[in-house]
Amino acid sequence: MNGKVKKKGALYYLKRDKWLYLILVPVILYYLLFKYLPMGGIVMAFQDYNLFKGIFGSEFVGLSVFQKIFKDHQFWNSIRNTLILNLLTLAVNFPLTIILALALNEIRAAKFKKVSQSLLYIPHFISWVVVAGIADNLFNMTNGTLNTVVKGLGGSAIPFLSSNGWWIFTYVICNVWKEIGWGTIVYLAALTGVDESLYEAAYLDGATRFQRIIYITLPSIKSVIVTMLILNISKMMTIGLDAPLLLGNSKVMSISEVISTYVYRLGIEKASYAQATAVGLFQSVVNIIILLLADKFAKLIGEEGIL
Amino acid sequence: MKKRKKNLSAGDIAAYILITFMVLICVYPLLNVLACSVSEKSAVLGGKVTFYPIGFELGAYKKILGMTQIWKAMKVSIIATITGTGLGLILTVAAAYALSKEKLHGRKILSGFILFTMYFSGGMIPTFLVVKSLGLYDSYAALVVPSAMNVFNFIIMRTFFRELPKELEEAALIDGAGDMRVLFRIALPLSKPILATVGLFYAVSYWNDYFSALLYIQSADKYSLQLRLRQMLYAGELNQVSMAAEGMATQVMSESLKMASIVVATIPILIVYPWLQKYFVKGVMLGSVKG
Repeated sequence: MNGKVKKKGALYYLKRDKWLYLILVPVILYYLLFKYLPMGGIVMAFQDYNLFKGIFGSEFVGLSVFQKIFKDHQFWNSIRNTLILNLLTLAVNFPLTIILALALNEIRAAKFKKVSQSLLYIPHFISWVVVAGIADNLFNMTNGTLNTVVKGLGGSAIPFLSSNGWWIFTYVICNVWKEIGWGTIVYLAALTGVDESLYEAAYLDGATRFQRIIYITLPSIKSVIVTMLILNISKMMTIGLDAPLLLGNSKVMSISEVISTYVYRLGIEKASYAQATAVGLFQSVVNIIILLLADKFAKLIGEEGIL
Repeated sequence: MKKRKKNLSAGDIAAYILITFMVLICVYPLLNVLACSVSEKSAVLGGKVTFYPIGFELGAYKKILGMTQIWKAMKVSIIATITGTGLGLILTVAAAYALSKEKLHGRKILSGFILFTMYFSGGMIPTFLVVKSLGLYDSYAALVVPSAMNVFNFIIMRTFFRELPKELEEAALIDGAGDMRVLFRIALPLSKPILATVGLFYAVSYWNDYFSALLYIQSADKYSLQLRLRQMLYAGELNQVSMAAEGMATQVMSESLKMASIVVATIPILIVYPWLQKYFVKGVMLGSVKG
């Protein structure tokens, strides 16, 4: 079960901690079956995969599957969309989350703070199916609440869900709506650790509240901010399938198709297993490279690594 | 200092306004859905409903009560949520407890074995084929087993177990208690907050799960609630007109029905949420501290 135990007394430790090893067996089995076995399936990306011949019977074709996907403009399109949507979401969400956390930190009325936090966290627990349903209710052209307001003001209906530019806007808004409150938790925790005496001293020195935030609060949570930023950047190439698939529709496909939805359509809907696996592998490898670089960068600027 | 507390400065007011504004933005869409679900048809169609109902009728809910597909899907999701949360907690506690013990040989390699899957995976298609070849395709098990354990939850829980006071456990071990006795009699009773947090995370992920059902389920009678809800919202099962394309004529009833079905699908989470809220903030903190 555990081959890495030192030769001396391996059996002794195995016997002494038999219960601990035993409860690990189902865990290891789970990871072997559902995480490591699929990694073996990656060889499909190098094969002329045939469902009936299987992985062991299919012919190896080197990198020709990759050559094929690299020539596919939909592939590059999905990468571009993934980066655009992630970057824009980050650009809006990241600073807003910090500002909201700072504002919450300034509130001294405990009850108000607690109630607002509870309400701000709720969207995080709402499913994307429901978020997409709500978005449709708010943003659709004919009787969406927002367009009713726009029309009431004499404007013409805005295609929030059906034109590429506005769809990006809607996508970012929905993501920010869902995660902004939840995102403050990390910062609020860091903020509780700020030394009170610094504030007292600043107050006595006549610093304004704004100055206190700029010169004391922000610097004390700087490392958390930097770590969160690096962590987010390291996830640039990944978007879960739910949000773009559920918010998207056929009219905005050219912008809503991200890597994960592309893999889904290619693999599940068109059953091009080899190509879909190759796209997935490309994404995984790029992810790892970005992650290693981000980790290195974090350490270089004197922060804790993210790995 | 007293003065500071009594008088609201401009900064205070700015903070209150910002937070109130954000809270309204977070809550408004939900109130709007709730209001639409019980409002008069004509008001909903005219987009007149904001955060309070115009008129009051429960027709949409009555109609939902009679829709067997919804109840069937809800049953699927309830079963998946309960078994998934149970299985997830068992696996996570087992892994986190064993691997939090410094005495355990091979603990670093075994932890690495688990953590590695966070950074690299076979991807959607190879996983799909494995699930298929294990005979799980189109079975209820496919909704739970492939995502039985989550690495993030494992990290949170391992961090928690590491921080438990060692003295209690050591005393028990000296008294001759085995590892399992210590786990059940000492560690777990002290772990209620983290069990609640991780349990909530698992439960929410199963309740909200759309993708597993989309990927692994074929027969409509095994659809999870979210997949069924999506189908109802967009494929036009509720009304004769397809809702997929924007701008199409819609029946009034279906709009309220859509909103009512969203409410029905979301209420269970909102009921559980306040009870566990005091725990999960700490849980998230633990997760952000890398182990």
